[in-house]
Amino acid sequence: MVDTAARIFRFRGLLATLTARELKARYRGSLLGFFWSLVNPLLLLGVYGVVFGLILDPARGGGVDPYFVFLVTGLFPWIWFSSSLLEGASSLLANAGLIRKAVFPAELLPAVSVAANLVHLLLALPIAVGAVLVGRYLGHPVAGWGALALPGVILIELPLVAGLALGLAALTAHFKDVRDILTNFLTLLFFATPIIYPLDAVPEGWIRTLVRANPLTSYTLAYQESLFYGRVPEASLWLQMALVSLVGWAAGAWLFGRLRETVVEAV
Amino acid sequence: MSEAPEPPRLSVEELTKLYRRATPGDQFRTLKSALLEGTLTRGLAPKNAITALDGVSFSVGAGEAFGVIGGNGSGKSTLLKVVAGILKPSSGRVEARGRVAALIELGAGFHPEISGRENVYINGAVLGLSRKEIDRRFDDIVEFSGLGDFIDEPVKNYSSGMYVRLGFAVAVHTEPDVLLVDEVLAVGDEAFAHRCLRRIEELLAAGRTLLFVSHALDLVEDLCDRVLWLDGGRARLLGSPRRVVDAYRQAVAEDEGREHQEAKSRSDARAESRSAGPQELETDEEGEPLRWGSRRAEIASARLLVGKPAAERYHFECGDPVAFEIEVAADEPLDDFVFGVAVNTPRGVECWGTNTDLAGLEARRLTGRARVRLVCPRFRLAPGEYLADVAVHSRDGTPYDYRRKVFAFSVTARERGVGLYFPEHRWETEGGVEWETVDESGP
Repeated sequence: MVDTAARIFRFRGLLATLTARELKARYRGSLLGFFWSLVNPLLLLGVYGVVFGLILDPARGGGVDPYFVFLVTGLFPWIWFSSSLLEGASSLLANAGLIRKAVFPAELLPAVSVAANLVHLLLALPIAVGAVLVGRYLGHPVAGWGALALPGVILIELPLVAGLALGLAALTAHFKDVRDILTNFLTLLFFATPIIYPLDAVPEGWIRTLVRANPLTSYTLAYQESLFYGRVPEASLWLQMALVSLVGWAAGAWLFGRLRETVVEAV
Repeated sequence: MSEAPEPPRLSVEELTKLYRRATPGDQFRTLKSALLEGTLTRGLAPKNAITALDGVSFSVGAGEAFGVIGGNGSGKSTLLKVVAGILKPSSGRVEARGRVAALIELGAGFHPEISGRENVYINGAVLGLSRKEIDRRFDDIVEFSGLGDFIDEPVKNYSSGMYVRLGFAVAVHTEPDVLLVDEVLAVGDEAFAHRCLRRIEELLAAGRTLLFVSHALDLVEDLCDRVLWLDGGRARLLGSPRRVVDAYRQAVAEDEGREHQEAKSRSDARAESRSAGPQELETDEEGEPLRWGSRRAEIASARLLVGKPAAERYHFECGDPVAFEIEVAADEPLDDFVFGVAVNTPRGVECWGTNTDLAGLEARRLTGRARVRLVCPRFRLAPGEYLADVAVHSRDGTPYDYRRKVFAFSVTARERGVGLYFPEHRWETEGGVEWETVDESGP
């Protein structure tokens, strides 16, 4: 687990180059280029915002106001998480030529997916910040200096995302079914995380316990705390995140380490 | 070359590599074994595994060029990939000292969408160079590759030759201690191949080590100090290039000879069944007839006999004694007949032909069954593939039975030369000429 991290660190220069390559290659030949990376989250935002904020009774939205702004703070980090996992899972298969014919540090490929999507998140964040500021300008009790904790939340989530991407990449190389399972699982996870609804709106009882027990909930709460409410997340929340990240990284890196030797033959 | 006193740059011990045969039922078992033991193949029944390498051992010293030859599927590329560290050995050990650069496939690791320049940096980083080190070598790399302005084009627009040139340029400029090259030189043009070879020679002179996999046997012979012949994943022969390459060529020719023999027995069987049924015209691939004639005398079979004692074989060494044997049958007695044999290359170049009439043999009587042999005590055809025609016809040329391409055979030779015919020869010189005698047979 440590040596996987060490290897990624050792090849950090290559990681940066490959991430730049990934971003460049993705938008080369398209007119809007980088703006496409914003179109997707904004579209999702629009759809959820209209459906849950306007069509369905806004009063039942758990009383978060403005709903669009609330949605933004949870949705953008989620997109980072889910895209990293989906792209990371396929990264070894997509680059089969590279790892089969050259001596290549395979752990970089899922890491590149995570890093490239992190860049997208960072580019989208100004929109979220702007939305929160507009909310405050309109007189809502949102935004605050607690937003400065945001980089910390992203940083503490990074090992989780990277670990899961690594593990899923190694698994997918051996069993292509993983990709389909993952797509469906992520849909489930999305609705089981308080992103499009505040945790308070969930009826008390087993269902709230379930949503609260979702490992991803702590991160979402932390994003909402810091960005939407402008408060520094509580210590217990940090602790939960640290724990989940540690376990996520350890599990993913272990899985990858176990399967890395056979990946070349499997892809 | 003599063994270096220092420990070898590359040593391979009892290397075995198994591949998993793709059987869906095994998937979860292999996942389990992969998770528990880190291998896909342990715990697999032998019938579900393919042995690509089987207990291969060798070591290569500094400054040595080591060649690996063998047919397709003999395990050459697997060997290179295991040595490179791309694949993990199933058992055994590979130890390489210093930086290993592998040129396994053209442009492996190049991203098609981005420019050659960026790819050089990525490729160099993969080979273990820092950005600064690549900066320093960048101009040399571009110059060596001969790409010029193309270096800023996306790699997808490159020709296959440009791919391999850039790939090779990066690989050799990383100054690897061990360079692994798999058959990629064949892609570039002649000039580039020469430049690559010069560069390889320079690396060797600087004490670097080369592991070279190729089907270009002449190149292997020229370049390498020792050669390993892999056959079905096993080391069949290891030794001086001359000896190993010759043995390999010999074995290939013997295999071809066997194939010729099998092809011949198949066509004999066909001819047999055909002669029972209605006569139809046999033709070759170009639609030319293979057999014609009135059949007043019929060639029942034709064989090639090689060696002493003579045995039916379709491969021989240049200079071996051979005999073309024709078995003929005539229902009614004939008094006008000529037997002929001709040897052609597959492309139709006539190499040699003769007949009993040209030899001054006067026909008197042919009746019932008979055997006719054309005996050549030292048949000195150049190495290659040949086809034989045999015929029996009247003196004025009216064919009784003319059979083209009745069998094929292959010839190998220890000596070298070009053309169709290797006469016995030696070089003699007088006056101001001096020679250094090189012992070509090697250790």
